[in-house]
Amino acid sequence: MSSMDALLAGFGNALQPVTLMWGFVGCFVGTLVGVLPGIGPALTIALLLPLTYHVPATSMFVMFAGIYYGAAYGGSTTSILIKTPGEASSMMTALEGNKMARNGRAGQALATAAIGSFVAGTIGTLALTFFAPMVVEAALAFGPAEYFSLMVLSLVAVSAVLGSSMLRGLLALGVGLLLGLVGIDLQTGQARFTFGQAQLLDGIEVTVAAVGLFAVGEALYLAWQGRESRGSEVMKLSGRLWLSASDWARSWKAWLRGAFYGFPIGALPAGGAELPTLLSYYTEKKLSPHPEEFGHGAIEGVAGPEAANNAAAAGVLMPLLTLGIPTSATAAIMLSAFEGYGIQTGPQLFSSQSSLVWTLIASLYIGNVILLVLNLPLVGLWVKLLKIPPPWLYAGIIVISTAGVYGAGNSVFNVGLLFVFGLIGFTMRRFDFPVAPLIVGLILAPMAEQSMRQALTISMGDWSTFVTRPLSGSLLGIAALLIVVPGLWRRWRTEPRP
Amino acid sequence: MTPLRVALALLVVCAVAAWQVTVIPASMMQMTVGASLVPALVVGGLTVLALLYGWSAWRGQQVDESHAPEQSPLPGASTRTLSLLGGGLAFMVLVGPLGFILPATLCGMGVARAFDAPLGLKSLAVCGGIASVFWGLFALVLGVGLGPGLPWLI
Repeated sequence: MSSMDALLAGFGNALQPVTLMWGFVGCFVGTLVGVLPGIGPALTIALLLPLTYHVPATSMFVMFAGIYYGAAYGGSTTSILIKTPGEASSMMTALEGNKMARNGRAGQALATAAIGSFVAGTIGTLALTFFAPMVVEAALAFGPAEYFSLMVLSLVAVSAVLGSSMLRGLLALGVGLLLGLVGIDLQTGQARFTFGQAQLLDGIEVTVAAVGLFAVGEALYLAWQGRESRGSEVMKLSGRLWLSASDWARSWKAWLRGAFYGFPIGALPAGGAELPTLLSYYTEKKLSPHPEEFGHGAIEGVAGPEAANNAAAAGVLMPLLTLGIPTSATAAIMLSAFEGYGIQTGPQLFSSQSSLVWTLIASLYIGNVILLVLNLPLVGLWVKLLKIPPPWLYAGIIVISTAGVYGAGNSVFNVGLLFVFGLIGFTMRRFDFPVAPLIVGLILAPMAEQSMRQALTISMGDWSTFVTRPLSGSLLGIAALLIVVPGLWRRWRTEPRP
Repeated sequence: MTPLRVALALLVVCAVAAWQVTVIPASMMQMTVGASLVPALVVGGLTVLALLYGWSAWRGQQVDESHAPEQSPLPGASTRTLSLLGGGLAFMVLVGPLGFILPATLCGMGVARAFDAPLGLKSLAVCGGIASVFWGLFALVLGVGLGPGLPWLI
């Protein structure tokens, strides 16, 4: 079956009323969590993982995709109306969008963000549709050594390139890897790092770690600071929720440029959404006939970065679906959901779970339309949500987090672990350690170990197999460069020149 | 807490983890790579990184966000933090004997207190409402096993 036939079959599944309903629920919940500060897609998907035991895989992943895309849409509302970027990728939107809102153009800022997100999300999904089968084709040549090297590259990239310090990123990764090794070793049956506790034999659940780090850690940090309870100023919803001819003319090129930055960079192991949004912002500033408006509410400064952000969201799904490699915390938790269903990820996913994958991709197209329809007419509701007082908002977040973790196995031990991870998250936030490497390390550690052991078994214990196989060696070489080059570059730039 | 203390805490974790590596029993199976190689490598790497972090913190090169402008905690930080953790502790201790809703209400009240909401009837009513709605949604509608909602249903 060709990709196009498979996609059409995917649309057939995605348009089934029940699947469509899950997609709608995902888009709604995603927008909601994107709008609300202190709760993001990674946390939401982690919380909903216990549901995976009750709902069919296709419906659940369609909902997760809706949450993922919806959160990217919803984040723009918060950035524009209260100048609080939920994530670093919304920083530019907060900068320009909030200025537009202060100038009485909140409606236009929200409209260009929503339409730009739709355009870029659709372009990103189209790119995913056409490039994913090619990546799968190439990845079928991967053996265990190549997989191990690819995982090393992803781990290094997520830790060393993202965040403000490579050392802190690698430390977070190291802690994640250590936690990922807790439990029974699947090949030998030996218990590791369990301290004799039966509750740890199955390892540390991703849900517990992610919810603790994101929800409890964030709440602890904000409570400790004591500034959140004073609330933020929510801007009035001013201006028409539509674009004038001049706004369209200034926005459409920025949307396209943003999409073309967002997808390829998002698909790279350490691409993320921050870099394309920054690149898009500075490109628009450079190309705009009104550069003086930037910093004072330029519409291109909202249109481009928002488009880049959404296209990057589609890009992140590429390595996840084709290689089974998560490049963000949300993707890592989605990978864990695949594991929860017993679905083997990697290139074989497209053949073994073809229906699921293509339904998921089709639902991304549909989700984009749902989000466009949902976002603008319901903006009044999102504004009301922003006015929920912080004590009740965080009480709700922690109670739902506790319920999610407790509900996964009626385990008080896991609730205790949730608060321990909360304290770890608090410390990481205070001392500026990135959380994503810890989550990605936790999930990839057992997979990387398994690939390494398989490769060494095949090579009869010869470690050189990782460097002598051309592809594996190249991947390890790139990983080494990612560690060495930034330091050399910094030294070269700071060295005094004659 | 300072970055140096974080480094010390990490080194303690590494020491405990190293001890745990030594107690991994040898496998009876003949394998190219046993169960303790990767843990040993990870613990070794983490120890080196923790030492580097400690050295960097010693030289004052590591950050503490609480020293950044607009980030330092307002007075009462420890009370607020303990209030939130106390809510969690109350849930853990009481969920067995009292079911889900009452402990979750207390947990919510602890969190709300951490965000400066007074402990009173309003907090009880709002957090009770939140706990009841979530129990209804998760346990009754979605079938997630949260156990009985109230003590007399146990």
